Amino acid sequence: MTPENLLQRPLATQKCTLGCPVLDRCLGGGIPCNSITELVAESGCGKTQLCLQLALSAQLPPSLGGLSASSLYIHTEFSFPSRRLHQLSHAFRSSHPLIFGNDPCDSIFVHAVYSADHLFDIMPKIESFLANPRTQFPVKLIVIDSIAALFRSDFENTPVELKRRSSLFFKISGKLKSLAKRFGLAVVVTNQVVDLVGPSEGLNGLKVGNLASLVSSGRRVCAALGLSWANCVNSRLFLSRNEEVVGEENGLVVDVNACGGDFVPRRTRRRLHVVFAPHLPESSCEFVITRERVFGVER
Amino acid sequence: MEVGRLPISASQRGKLISAGYTTLSSLSSISPSYLARDLKISDNEAAEIMRVASHGHRLDGSKGGCGTVNGAQTAWDMLHEEMIPRITTSCADLDNILGGGINCKEVTEIGGVPGIGKTQLGIQLAVNVQIPVDYGGLGGKAIYIDTEGSFMVERALQIAEACIEDMSEFNGLLRKDFQACQLKMHPNNILENIFYFRVCSYTEQIALINYLDKFISEHKDVKIVIVDSVTFHFRQDFDDMALRTRLLSGIALKLMKLAKEFSLAVVLLNQVTTKYIDGSFQLTLALGDSWSHSCTNRVILYWNGNERYAYIDKSPSLRSASACYSVTSKGIRNSASNCKRIKMM
Repeated sequence: MTPENLLQRPLATQKCTLGCPVLDRCLGGGIPCNSITELVAESGCGKTQLCLQLALSAQLPPSLGGLSASSLYIHTEFSFPSRRLHQLSHAFRSSHPLIFGNDPCDSIFVHAVYSADHLFDIMPKIESFLANPRTQFPVKLIVIDSIAALFRSDFENTPVELKRRSSLFFKISGKLKSLAKRFGLAVVVTNQVVDLVGPSEGLNGLKVGNLASLVSSGRRVCAALGLSWANCVNSRLFLSRNEEVVGEENGLVVDVNACGGDFVPRRTRRRLHVVFAPHLPESSCEFVITRERVFGVER
Repeated sequence: MEVGRLPISASQRGKLISAGYTTLSSLSSISPSYLARDLKISDNEAAEIMRVASHGHRLDGSKGGCGTVNGAQTAWDMLHEEMIPRITTSCADLDNILGGGINCKEVTEIGGVPGIGKTQLGIQLAVNVQIPVDYGGLGGKAIYIDTEGSFMVERALQIAEACIEDMSEFNGLLRKDFQACQLKMHPNNILENIFYFRVCSYTEQIALINYLDKFISEHKDVKIVIVDSVTFHFRQDFDDMALRTRLLSGIALKLMKLAKEFSLAVVLLNQVTTKYIDGSFQLTLALGDSWSHSCTNRVILYWNGNERYAYIDKSPSLRSASACYSVTSKGIRNSASNCKRIKMM
């Protein structure tokens, strides 16, 4: 056994760009390789959009921040959003005409998984798939969307089952981390949120990471799957959405009655927060989802 | 028998042996008058025997003083040993409650919720152990065993650069007249002196810890071993929990032996889990009750409002206290807010 020479690796861990410089700046360059990053958000915040965009930008060459790699997209809940992927890939192709020879969608491999045991069972298959790349780009990004869906229905609420669930977290995460190390992958998993009910003392409001409390759509939430899963990931990012009345952010008082009946102009504000990461300080960034892509905005 | 080798008369030897004095060490801890009464001989004869015995004892050159077991020491000897060196954590409050820093020769366990700064503290210690002796450090190297993949080289580089900056400042402020003490360290040197191992399963972890003995005897300047984190691979499914307990106590024993034998500090980073105590769920460090006996010191990191605190949970020599610290771009530092009063429990 010999120790690794820290100076031999590149002095910055390789990162995969998110496709937008503002978001990349918030994340110190992008999603790091060789670790598991978790995206936590309530439904409709943009987790899947970000993941699709990530799968496309992974194909960019390293000079543009990508990994020159194809990706493996494991989906669990709904059917794969292929129409949205085609929309995004058209926009991507038109903004980088020289790079994408073939259809970028050809480099995204999709697999459906139905339960946690199923995911653990296909790990050897994934490993051999990674070891034998069939396309010009090896796979360097694995997205699991979402990991929460695998665990939230199979297990009853008894101590024995919960213990089994907890040990499955560590098994799956241990296997993903060893694959990440062996092949230099970036692994992104998405997670759901649960509401925090009651006082935020003791274990109920256990503070994990930088944010005092995660707020989305005006409700206090926390990540699903509990404390054990939080120990399994390397970094956690939180996406939030909040409705706000247009005009209020500039200090103007919006007269709701004057706005013609029931119509009050509202806007959805989405933010990306760093909850914890070994290489990032606490930071947050606003982002917008449009037809072409997801991009960050600076105010 | 050692007494048999002493140049004394056969009758004296016979009296010594029948009274029970068979080794030189048993003779070195008593007074001549006591020996005279015990053997029923004159004081002069007893003094002569003692003189010969102490001479023989010195020639033997046995280390460890007057113990009959190899390596045993009296507490008096231990008190007069050199002061145990400590590794600073770069946060003055935290150093204060730790009695100056992380102790060498002991195993310290540090645990906390995700995101509290365990890996940051581990990297900070791996850098701080390399502070040269001139600046109050140990000038040693570090072994960093990464089980989770949280070690980021650019973060270690950032912390190393900040450490070197601090040392230059110190150099400038206090040693203006010492032209010779030029700071020659470069962040790359610091990274070179961290021996980084990545393990991906519990068998690899055990094999590596067994191998450390040989590794450290070849690299005698290693002064700290950090395992981040010791729990991750052991929280998977173990059908036989007794096996897990045995493996963990084996690891703990080996690490304690390493710490004592090579005078280095061992820092184990741990995760937290919930435990059902007194009718409610509370947070405790993972790996169970039997593991909690394996470490000499235990430090728990927790959030209090928006501040990070460290609490000494168990220590044979330090009192329970908590201190505030913060994680900045330079690493672990004092907290900037006014929570700096150390709370004694």
